[in-house]
Amino acid sequence: MDFETLTPPTLVGQSRGDTGSNALIIETEGLTKRYGERVIAVEDLDLRVRRGEVYGFLGANGAGKTTTLRMLLGLIRPTSGSVRVLGEPPGSPEGLAHIGALVETPAFYPYLSGWDNLRVLALHAGTQQNRIPIVLEQVDLADRAGDAFKTYSLGMKQRLGVAAALLKDPELLILDEPTNGLDPAGMSEMRDLIKNFGRDNRTVLLSSHLMAEVEQICDRVGVIHSGKLIAEGTVDDLRGQGGLRVRAHPLDEARRIASQLDGVGEVQVLDDDTLRIAIDPADASWLNRQLIGAGIEVSEIYREKASLEAVFLGLTKNGGDNDVE
Amino acid sequence: MLNSISAELLLLRKRPSTWVLLGLWTLLAANFGYIFSYVAYLNGSGDSVRPLADMLPSRLVATLLEGYPFFGGVIVLILGVLTFGGEYGWGTLKTVYTQGPKRSQVLAAKIIALGIVLTSFVIVPFLVGALLSYGIALREDEAIDWPSVSVIARGLAAGWFLMVVWAAFGAVLAVLSRGTALAIGLGILYGLVIEGLLSAFVNDISVLRPVTEAFLRSNGYSLVEPLGLATEQVRGNGPGAFRGPYVSGLQAFSVLAAYFGAFVVLTGFVLRKQEVA
Ligand SMILES: Nc1ncnc2c1ncn2[C@@H]1O[C@H](COP(=O)(O)OP(=O)(O)OP(=O)(O)O)[C@@H](O)[C@H]1O
Ligand SMILES: [Mg+2]
Repeated sequence: MDFETLTPPTLVGQSRGDTGSNALIIETEGLTKRYGERVIAVEDLDLRVRRGEVYGFLGANGAGKTTTLRMLLGLIRPTSGSVRVLGEPPGSPEGLAHIGALVETPAFYPYLSGWDNLRVLALHAGTQQNRIPIVLEQVDLADRAGDAFKTYSLGMKQRLGVAAALLKDPELLILDEPTNGLDPAGMSEMRDLIKNFGRDNRTVLLSSHLMAEVEQICDRVGVIHSGKLIAEGTVDDLRGQGGLRVRAHPLDEARRIASQLDGVGEVQVLDDDTLRIAIDPADASWLNRQLIGAGIEVSEIYREKASLEAVFLGLTKNGGDNDVE
Repeated sequence: MLNSISAELLLLRKRPSTWVLLGLWTLLAANFGYIFSYVAYLNGSGDSVRPLADMLPSRLVATLLEGYPFFGGVIVLILGVLTFGGEYGWGTLKTVYTQGPKRSQVLAAKIIALGIVLTSFVIVPFLVGALLSYGIALREDEAIDWPSVSVIARGLAAGWFLMVVWAAFGAVLAVLSRGTALAIGLGILYGLVIEGLLSAFVNDISVLRPVTEAFLRSNGYSLVEPLGLATEQVRGNGPGAFRGPYVSGLQAFSVLAAYFGAFVVLTGFVLRKQEVA
């Protein structure tokens, strides 16, 4: 089954009080990146991020998040497909003038201080130098700004990376796992920072494999697995795919019947008397009737309150091949 | 563009290795031209003893320039490699590119900043050389005749130009190898082994002649030869030895300028095409 069809594609622009400008800030079509014959890092990806939303780009290790972000920024060339970011081709100076990005690990000149690193970048970006103390303050690095980058701790490096992304006071912020290496307080500060940034019509594309993070700060989420976008929607949309848990006997028979019903997605055996059935939870009593009608003893049906994590694990375990079982 | 040049100048200025290389080169130039030579001269009678005249102010330009076509070249090749190759090891190209400058602008800024920093690789050794030759002349009670301003100016310009060509060579090697270690190794290997060995055999094997005429070494020495280069000294210049053939100064300049152009264009082409991870 196709999860993308489950997702109502509107909602987001409206929920942020966006006055009609539902403009696409990021738009890719059929975006594909191959490495050699065997590796398809990103496959046929259609990504649409609208102005003003915080979009979570969720995927496991190696799913293709970073590769996608690199293509959006013009660091690498797509094998095929098209990309527009802020209406410009990827990597064009006109587009990049309004984009701040941190891709994968923060990379800076080790012998320069944090401040001097930002100076170098501000010069290349043609940005006012007076932004430097502001962004250092934002990421809470001001008091160590004079120290050489190579002396920074992991979390401090990450903060400097985010500071560099904020330097241009960009319209679009692209962050690749920005809370990497941060302590709990730092994580929470970073999330607040992103949430605040996402106010007043600015856009954030946030890649992450931390469900809690995405759950807390994102308006909309896209799930990427093995290079493909396998689900997209608001956090609630995705959670809604949780479905029902059914205790029944005999279990194999219940499983066989349930999987033949219309509107039923995947049917999983959880333990020796419970099934997880992907179905709209509103259809619980209908499902109950069908099972009982087929002579199955149903002792319990309850709505599964899926965490995004469970949804994510469910989605990615089966990848794009949800029909197989 | 000016801003990007300032950025690259800041990088070079604050990088310790820039000053280490400048110090090293100044030390080498001072020792080979003056300090070692003078000590050897005082101690008497080896074959390779440099005549006192070479160490006096009147020969300042010719004596200092002896080192630029090879020794100085190899040292600033390292500077060129570090300027471009360091970015790969640190992964900083992505950080810079995402700030929005065109890749060609980053290239131009780096080359221009290198050119600016390389002026110190001529001025500092010349100042130190001038001081040493002055001291030697005083001690030996010899005349203190400085070369004409035009010779000094041409000498500085020629030395600087040789440095820029070698640094650009380093830039190509760095972007092709995406790093520093291999690029430095290859650069030194090329200068020392390929050019050095082939140049040593050129008088015995005549087919090598046209090949060696295309070398950085031949064109480098030929470029400074009109400024009074002591060609006999250069024959025994250790790993930088060169016995000819010399070509005309104009030809040397043209060939070196073509090399420089080719190095920069190739570097730019590679930077433009290269994927940045
Ligand atoms: N330069 C490359 N050469 C070959 N394969 C690559 C290259 N870059 C990425 N890949 C492959 O592409 C796939 C996607 O990698 P990518 O870095 O985009 O994953 P990711 O989603 O960012 O993972 P993580 O959460 O670990 O950061 C991986 O299988 C990776 O091995
Ligand atoms: Mg990644």
